[in-house]
Amino acid sequence: MKKILAIIFIAAVSLINAQNLKLIVNNYSTTFDFHGTLSAHNFGGGCYPYVTTNSPAMVVVPADANMNNGNELVYANFKDQYLNSLYPNANWVVQLSATTQTVRAWNHASIAPGGVISANTKWSSSQFQMYYAGTSTPEPSFSGLIGEPQDPCTGASSNISTPYGDVEWFNITTGNVDYSYLQIY
Amino acid sequence: MKKTILLIAFAVVGLISCNNEGAAVNTVSSMKTPQMENFDKAFKSLGDPQNRPTEEEKKRNTSELSDRRKALLVPASKDLILSTGVTEAELTRKTGGDMSQIIVWATQIYMKKSDEIRKNIKAEN
Repeated sequence: MKKILAIIFIAAVSLINAQNLKLIVNNYSTTFDFHGTLSAHNFGGGCYPYVTTNSPAMVVVPADANMNNGNELVYANFKDQYLNSLYPNANWVVQLSATTQTVRAWNHASIAPGGVISANTKWSSSQFQMYYAGTSTPEPSFSGLIGEPQDPCTGASSNISTPYGDVEWFNITTGNVDYSYLQIY
Repeated sequence: MKKTILLIAFAVVGLISCNNEGAAVNTVSSMKTPQMENFDKAFKSLGDPQNRPTEEEKKRNTSELSDRRKALLVPASKDLILSTGVTEAELTRKTGGDMSQIIVWATQIYMKKSDEIRKNIKAEN
């Protein structure tokens, strides 16, 4: 009974706090394609749910794909990204704890917008590797874990500088709106 | 003589229609308003050397874009909002001059317009 009450409580709180979130990836590099995972997790105590792209390949945002030419990546939530984004991700790896992991299709009810998982996660990070544009040749020095800084759930940095280019993660927030930007220069 | 003129006229009409063929191929970037283009440029300018985060900004334990860098996005954001017919007074009243609110509002307009452009392109093809 207590458990059910707790779940109802969490669900109610989530609905009240329903946030308008977006993840936007702008690749301004003209030399490198971005290959990476995109993750969201719970920031309200503990790290779970923890949700990551599973495409099965990486999400690829080609060189010079950004807002300037309308080719930026925009993910509003786990579901709508498949319908509206230029870079649809078919499956998500959903972790509800450190030991439970499930692969869910983009349209699975459990990750739908407004649901408990969607309402309790926020875009957090990306494990990425840059590749020479249009090739399968990675640049080993141009890679990393970018995301929210000082996040014990990921350990990501919000700035990565290399001789080949720079990557940064930042947010613009106001009220219940939170836009996360991953920009590659 | 008449025949020649007619022939030339047909040739000209032909050339013009071919020209229109080319013009019908629209891309998202070619259909953006100047205000949208400036908004894009503002985001890209965050990567310019003088606009990159300073050491101090990097050390903060938040990923919120610093006020210094938000200020770089505000003029283009305002122009984009005003281009939709919103008045300066309305903008001030609704945002209270808060930079985040101005940028987020502009972003929402931007995304809606981009979606419309994409839909128009799809409908044309």
